[in-house]
Amino acid sequence: MSSSVKSWLLLLPLLVFMILFVGQGMFRAFQESLDVGGSSGIFANYEALAADGTFHAALGVSVYVAFVSTMLSLLLGLLVTRTLTSWMKSDTWKLGAWFPMLIPHFVGAYLILLFFAPTGWFASAAASAGLGFPVMVQDTAYIGVILTYVWKEIPFVVLMLLPVYQEMDGRMQEVSRSLGAGRWTGFRFTEWPWVRPVLLETGLILFVFVIGAFEVPALLGVTYPSMVPVLAFDWFYQSGWSTRPLAQAMMVLLMLGSILLALLLLTTAYRWRERGRSHA
Amino acid sequence: MRSILGWSMLLLVFVVPVLFLFLRSITFGWRYPDLFPSDWSMRAWHVIAGDPQILQALLTTMLVGITVVALNLLLGIPAAYALSHGRLKGVVWLETILFLPILVPVLAIAMGLHITMIRLGLADHISGVILIHLLPTLPYTIRVLRSGFDRIAPGWRRLGDTLGAPRITLFVTGLLPMMRPSLRSAAVLAFVISLSQYVLTAIIGGGQVTTLPLLYYPFFDSADQAVIAGFSVVFAALPAVFLLLWESLMAGFTYLLRRT
Repeated sequence: MSSSVKSWLLLLPLLVFMILFVGQGMFRAFQESLDVGGSSGIFANYEALAADGTFHAALGVSVYVAFVSTMLSLLLGLLVTRTLTSWMKSDTWKLGAWFPMLIPHFVGAYLILLFFAPTGWFASAAASAGLGFPVMVQDTAYIGVILTYVWKEIPFVVLMLLPVYQEMDGRMQEVSRSLGAGRWTGFRFTEWPWVRPVLLETGLILFVFVIGAFEVPALLGVTYPSMVPVLAFDWFYQSGWSTRPLAQAMMVLLMLGSILLALLLLTTAYRWRERGRSHA
Repeated sequence: MRSILGWSMLLLVFVVPVLFLFLRSITFGWRYPDLFPSDWSMRAWHVIAGDPQILQALLTTMLVGITVVALNLLLGIPAAYALSHGRLKGVVWLETILFLPILVPVLAIAMGLHITMIRLGLADHISGVILIHLLPTLPYTIRVLRSGFDRIAPGWRRLGDTLGAPRITLFVTGLLPMMRPSLRSAAVLAFVISLSQYVLTAIIGGGQVTTLPLLYYPFFDSADQAVIAGFSVVFAALPAVFLLLWESLMAGFTYLLRRT
């Protein structure tokens, strides 16, 4: 048996599972979102969504929360990785950064509540200093939700970036310093080309995760505007399944958006890597 | 000096808040605007330990989590090995398909699968919950195991061929022990992800499969802060319990290998 046939055989169980399960799920979701045999056309549910203010609000707040959480996590994760790889001699510190990875998202949400709620510990601290404290959880700006995601995802970003920094050739930085490059220029030319594709991929995973996740906004969000997954879950079970096709249509739109974004970002990351290789 | 500063920052931001949870669970009447607790009490832990529903859910959660990990490794190890050492054409496309569950919202897939699961008799049953938990876990397992296999030089295979050992013996006695750190990371990660699922379990389990998160959500809005804090500590402790189980399993495995 040739080596490539054997490889395909090893991959087969997983591939079959993915195609049966993921393929089936995506196809059925699409099928149930269509209005077959109705008087108002096959895409009636999508037309209804396009005119639905609740959906618009949900989509808006979802994109906002996902974008802000992703950007803050990437930025702070990069900062932590750079700082700690240069401060620490060994890399045992990554065990400390691993820690929040072991905590479920909803427990993270409870932690944020414990510290940032109007009756939380920071509010107590502010009160004993004679200060007021702003509403930061279950608020329309979704600050609590964003804080939860940032706390949870910084470690993820660090763990994705760490291999890049461990494999980075320290001599490049030395050369750029001896050529008189400043900190920013040094970063731009000796780190950024390698960090960039990893950041893009990590950002994609985070964005898609946050925009499609139910757990945290269900606890720390508000009823209006709610994030898309919370609204979809609501509609999925509301009034004897009658709004279920709308819920499916909403999630199908989210799915299509995610696929488009993935195609765009993954091909960009691929091109950046190829360019990096031809420069090296 | 700087490394001390780095460690204290890490501990302060990532570890201390979780210890704070534990502190919260053994206090009594610690309310706004008290900065520090005044009374201590084990009441919350008595409530948690005395609730038969929580105990039952704990067992269900462990059963689901451990089965999910086992299936992840069963499907993931051969696939990751093939991706890493197989010299396949079109690997980029293949990987994109395998990573689909983290490139599209899993909730959409789960909602689409609901009717199918009902027809197959998998809905409202623990087997359906286990299957749906495979979606958010498998992509990470593949990723972790693949980079583990990537780090092992292909030379060991040729060495094994020279020595004339059968491939499967070589795999179990030579390669898997080398993969121990990656296997551990993949297993813990899959367990934690399974432990963190609320909405997938709620939809596919249909309220019939009660894992710990399904009890946690109704608790969240209750006024009993000490109990929720204690409940949260349980979630933080379970991965450690799992890690302990895993390490003893691995130790047993190594012992068996040495004897044969």
